[in-house]
Amino acid sequence: MNNIEFLRQERKDIIKDYPSKEIPNTIVDDLVKSINEIQYVIVKEIIEETKDTKSFILIPDKSKGTNTLEPFKAGQYISIKMFIGDTYVTRAYSLSSSPKDAINGIYRITIKRVEKGLVSNALLDDMKVGDGLAISKPTGIFTYNKIRDEENVIAIAGGCGITPFMSLAKSIIDGIEDCYLTVFYSVKTENDIIFKKDIELINKKSKKVKFIITLTREDKNDYLNGHITKDMIEPYLKDFNTIFMCGPKELYKSMNEILNELNIPRKSVHYENFYTEYTPLEINTYELKILMKNKTEVITCKSNETLLVSLEKAGIKAPSLCRVGTCGFCRSILIDGKIKTVGESKPKALTINDYIHPCVTYPESDIVIRIDI
Amino acid sequence: MVYDYIIIGSGLGGLSAGINLALNNKKVLILEKNSLPGGLVTTFKRGRFEFDTSLYDLYDYGSEENSGTIKNLFKKYDIDIETIQAPLNFKVKTENNEDYEVKGNIEDFILELENLKNGSTESLKEFIAITKEVHEALNKLKNNFSINEEEYPRFNKYLRMNVIDALTDINMPKETIHRLGYLWLYIGSPLNKLNFIDFAEFMYKFIFKKTYVLRNKNLDLILKMVNKFKEYNGNIYYNEEVINISDINDLKLIITKTGNEYKCKHVICNLSQRYVYKNLFKEPNLEVNKLENARTLSMNGVVVYLGLNKNHSNIGLNNYKYYHFNNINSLLNIKNMNSLYHNIWEATVPNVVNMNASPNNTTILVLKTNYYDKTFNITNINDYKKIKEDIALDLINQFEETFNIDIREYIEEIEIATPLTFSRYTNNVNGSMLGYMRLGYDNSIHRLISYKDEIQPKISFVGGSSLFGGGADNAIYSGYYISKMLLKVGDNNE
Repeated sequence: MNNIEFLRQERKDIIKDYPSKEIPNTIVDDLVKSINEIQYVIVKEIIEETKDTKSFILIPDKSKGTNTLEPFKAGQYISIKMFIGDTYVTRAYSLSSSPKDAINGIYRITIKRVEKGLVSNALLDDMKVGDGLAISKPTGIFTYNKIRDEENVIAIAGGCGITPFMSLAKSIIDGIEDCYLTVFYSVKTENDIIFKKDIELINKKSKKVKFIITLTREDKNDYLNGHITKDMIEPYLKDFNTIFMCGPKELYKSMNEILNELNIPRKSVHYENFYTEYTPLEINTYELKILMKNKTEVITCKSNETLLVSLEKAGIKAPSLCRVGTCGFCRSILIDGKIKTVGESKPKALTINDYIHPCVTYPESDIVIRIDI
Repeated sequence: MVYDYIIIGSGLGGLSAGINLALNNKKVLILEKNSLPGGLVTTFKRGRFEFDTSLYDLYDYGSEENSGTIKNLFKKYDIDIETIQAPLNFKVKTENNEDYEVKGNIEDFILELENLKNGSTESLKEFIAITKEVHEALNKLKNNFSINEEEYPRFNKYLRMNVIDALTDINMPKETIHRLGYLWLYIGSPLNKLNFIDFAEFMYKFIFKKTYVLRNKNLDLILKMVNKFKEYNGNIYYNEEVINISDINDLKLIITKTGNEYKCKHVICNLSQRYVYKNLFKEPNLEVNKLENARTLSMNGVVVYLGLNKNHSNIGLNNYKYYHFNNINSLLNIKNMNSLYHNIWEATVPNVVNMNASPNNTTILVLKTNYYDKTFNITNINDYKKIKEDIALDLINQFEETFNIDIREYIEEIEIATPLTFSRYTNNVNGSMLGYMRLGYDNSIHRLISYKDEIQPKISFVGGSSLFGGGADNAIYSGYYISKMLLKVGDNNE
């Protein structure tokens, strides 16, 4: 027998004597299998935060097979999937509770009414205690990272942008994250302050977390007044700082100027892609042709609505998660047409090859796209 | 619609097989579970950085005059990519005071090995000559499944030996064997269990074809492959995760998570056989189970992707690769890799060889450590996020201390991938990065000569978990090789 034949036979003989029992999962495989990509939850409690904002306490819906909630890092969001009318839609909301509560089966999301907001209005007006929801597992990268970030953290929040920082504050208090946090929170009036009681309590008790509220449309004692300024922030800066921002675009713009004046390096500033609104010069209606696996559909789209919104309005169950052009879940291919994208972040190779994120893409002509659904 | 072939997974192996089959006028459908093609080989964005995963070096690409297998394949496929030849540029340190640097080409490596241990050169030169013979013999074997053993005496002599025994036989000093064999890290096996032929073939590519890197990002290569596949009338669907394969008449019926059903004459899995038989078939296959019980999964690992806000030379990152071992001996290293925190790791600085790797005045640094078997043993998901950050921090601290380079203060972006990340994204069992371990009777050479014995009707496997083992060039080649074999059988039947 030559050497090759010998090796062939040897392998055969060795394998023959092995048992034919099934191979057990590895620890990694078991852990991956236990992750719920979709979680079913029940609204346990609804808290009126302000006249246009409510918090929803969510617990696992064991009747639907969700026994525990997926853990998260402060700053991550979940995406709610729901039917409204006969339309299937998703919206992303930052978790405002402590990651510690998730281990005990509790999430909190906090939702502010958006004018004409399909989902926020449905949730605020129609959601009752005991109702069920389907949500994604927490995701997102707007989180404190002990390796990258400094010990002194300054957070800048506008309006509903306070939610991820409330989670971070609680995370610090619960000993999960280890840093000093000062949150500058800009709201219109005292009545618009979300988490007012929580904030007062934390300010009284915590040595590591401090909230500083400024009212932009009201003069009141106990609060700062006007927009956030360089002078407000400067006393809280140390030699090295990390800045987080979450709020409307205008806030980022004015803050970036201030941070430049304060010589904060670019690497130390992180902001959440929270608002990706875009207003075209004129509102036009176009044709949107969608090539899917087994069929083609033609619907209309408007220059002031993202392609994803048009898909949802037409009842087409397109995948989506973050709705701000970062997660890549809605990724599609532009076959034809002119588009405008906002706030998007994707590798260059995708742009060159006509990949688009419908959640941040506005039509500027008739459009043809391909979605593998 | 009945497809000739359905390919599960659009990794390098799946895409390569798809292109070759479509090029030969077969009706081919690729089903990909993610919304992006590429599997382990992809690109993701954080801030202003685009990080490549898994694929950094091509070892079987070569130059225009001296082309390697992958370059030839891409010519055949009509895929045009831009590459840069990367000279050897690495630093090695170990806990037992090894400390050396190699810059230049293979001759410089030999000089350094001689410098570290007198009397190495002759055996190294002989080894290089042997790799050439091994490569030629293997090429013949791949086509004919047999060779005239007299024609390749040294191939024949070392066919049944492991690396240590074979190199000792040509009088290579022990230390030199281990220093030469530092690339075991990319093969995944200790040198005393790795078959000499597997090692020699790897080193042949490394020595004669040199190292090439992609000028553009991984995703650029992947999308070029996808576009070519489509150009040849191949069909690819994303967001389609296969959950069941069954037989229906003479065909294979494939069912996906979304409830869609597809039929084909033959299914090609860009997945490990273990995953497919455990998860996609209702009935176990006892023969396959025997083989699976007889083999070992290769390593998984944690990868830390760092975007630094300064030019690499200003930080002091002047080497393309940095390696830290416990010991120069691969077996001792693997024994020391049995905890989440250990001192065997590597670092890659793509900017040193490719100025396009990240924006001006920034640097990408990728740190990687590996684990075998059950070492990555987090059982409670609630501990996971903290542990992965702790591992990353430990790696960064070790890198700073070992090579005396400050990086922490320059970190602008960070992402950490773990076996969980790789498992979720690719369905690789245990999040394994290199498929099965090439050990004993399960080296690539054994899989190759047993290919015809172990062939299964209507199902084949490509990618890093198949014939040739892990690594980008092996994965691409496996797709070509398996599809070529299938086309041959098809021709014979007609």
